[in-house]
Amino acid sequence: MRDHEPDTPSSSAPQDAAAAKPPRSGPIDFRLFVQSVQDYAIFMLDPEGRVQTWNAGAERIKGYKEGEIAGEHFSIFYPPEDVAAGKPEAELLVAAAEGRFEDEGWRVRKDGARFWANVVITAVRDETGRLVGFGKVTRDLTDRRRAEETLRRSEEGFRLLLGSVKDYAIFMLDPAGIVTSWNQGAETIKGYTAGEIIGRHFSAFYPPEDAAAGRPAREIEIARTEGRYEEEGVRVRKDGSRFWASVILTAVRNASGELVGFAKVTRDLTERKRAEDERLRLAQAREAVRLRDEFLVIASHELKTPLAALQLQLDSLGVIADLPERAVKQIGRAARSGARLVALIDTLLDVARVTAGRVVLTRERFEIGAAVHEVVDRFGAEAIQIVIREKGRVEGSWDRLRVEQIITNLIGNAVKYGAGKPIEIKIASDGRVVSVTVTDHGPGIAEEDQGRIFSKFERAVPEQHFGGLGLGLYIGRQLAEAHGGSIEVESKLGTGATFTLRLPIDPPARSAEEAG
Amino acid sequence: MSGHPQAGVVLVVEDDTELREILVEVLEDHGYRVVAASNGLEALQRLRDGGMKPCVILLDLMMPIMDGRTFRTEQRRDPAITDIPVVMLSAQLDALEAAREMGVKQFLEKPVALKQLLRVVRENC
Repeated sequence: MRDHEPDTPSSSAPQDAAAAKPPRSGPIDFRLFVQSVQDYAIFMLDPEGRVQTWNAGAERIKGYKEGEIAGEHFSIFYPPEDVAAGKPEAELLVAAAEGRFEDEGWRVRKDGARFWANVVITAVRDETGRLVGFGKVTRDLTDRRRAEETLRRSEEGFRLLLGSVKDYAIFMLDPAGIVTSWNQGAETIKGYTAGEIIGRHFSAFYPPEDAAAGRPAREIEIARTEGRYEEEGVRVRKDGSRFWASVILTAVRNASGELVGFAKVTRDLTERKRAEDERLRLAQAREAVRLRDEFLVIASHELKTPLAALQLQLDSLGVIADLPERAVKQIGRAARSGARLVALIDTLLDVARVTAGRVVLTRERFEIGAAVHEVVDRFGAEAIQIVIREKGRVEGSWDRLRVEQIITNLIGNAVKYGAGKPIEIKIASDGRVVSVTVTDHGPGIAEEDQGRIFSKFERAVPEQHFGGLGLGLYIGRQLAEAHGGSIEVESKLGTGATFTLRLPIDPPARSAEEAG
Repeated sequence: MSGHPQAGVVLVVEDDTELREILVEVLEDHGYRVVAASNGLEALQRLRDGGMKPCVILLDLMMPIMDGRTFRTEQRRDPAITDIPVVMLSAQLDALEAAREMGVKQFLEKPVALKQLLRVVRENC
């Protein structure tokens, strides 16, 4: 075997090492060694390619016993398509000409199964340079190939995955900060196509003032020294628009620890930030409303307590017998002033309640006509004629106090602005909705003012002519809406105004009993 | 002003001095014996130490030291005084709901008319 050892000067493939480093001086029988190698098929071919020797590895890898294969042409190990293409002969020609041929490819076992092989064919020449045959070393790489294939597939899958991620910009920078890869999410978030941005420095993503201040370089430096840089901040899209971004910059090092670049993951948090800002504003608004409510509760207590003392004192003065007439009159006036103060405070509190959405309706069944009559009776002292026209009884489920309050506001308004002319009230129903219309014959309301009169502190006429806070219609409309109803106005300048209150007879199906 | 035969005791719990004084005055004018307290804690002490048993308690809601709500909780826990009827007298926003939660017998909104006050007290004494 010493003659045939494949240790020719041109053969230096490491795969051959096991067989090609014979212990020339040692006592080991080299043929025995080769024959017993299990992991490599090591055998000789004659110059025409016929199998001359065989070893344990060859038997294990290819499935043939020595007796079966000796003298067979080595093309038996190749898939039919390679044989047809003349590959075995071509390999021998290359080995003969260049001393060596190496290949990785499919080979066939005795049972027909294919395996992925690393093959080295070495030309073997005698001292005179005559070709005496070929040494062939074959290794079964099926397992390695499978592992590589798996790795390749998973890398490819990973690339595809990164490429198709839309919610995150995921891209690579080289150590200098030049963009070297780009994904779908990066294109979506930043607006550049891969072709436009690869090769450019990543400072393009920063607002000019940040780029000028050297932020990109600082961030890269932190990522390089600490492995990672993370922040939330403003970034710029291709079109110059800014967005709030979450950015993670990670240093990428190879197996030997050398910096090969940075992975950058950017997420557009504009929506989240907008939602957060919105939540904050909402919380602040709620807090303001809460403080106002608290203030109003205290104010109501503080204002009404002395009024309570005042009223009780006036009441007890009023029942003293034999007071001079003048004193009785003055006590009466003082009591009425007190009552007006109470009404004003109540109005203010109502505004607070309806704007804070704190109107709690206490529904009960009652007849609307009765409520209208009761309110009209309270206006009895006013020297104004009020005509009520109703067709039958209309019963419904409403908050009686609130409905009376709305009607009081409407009639009060008509009395105030009706120029002393008669006021007409009409009650009608279509079976689902009851309407109460209050018509006055005052100066009317200009069209451009008709929307405004339902706002807080608004009135259509200069305030010096009329008292009050201008809150009645606002409160009335809020209370009507709390019932699922409405208040509307129709008017022409010079002919008076008609206000219509509409209330559903039954509460809405999903009755939010609280307004707002 | 008297001439009313009842001589029941009314406990007035009100922190506002003027209102408390006029309440005491008008009730006394109408023949009631009146004990006054300026907050819930004082009212509890009057009830427990004085050995008197009022026919009604006129209770303010918003008071320093101990408010009406806490007083009511304490009162309901104490078997000796739990059954004394309470009439809440308050100007507080949404006091009606508070009155319902506190399980008081009646609710009078401030300011209250003398007639109404006397009617409610008479019903209980």
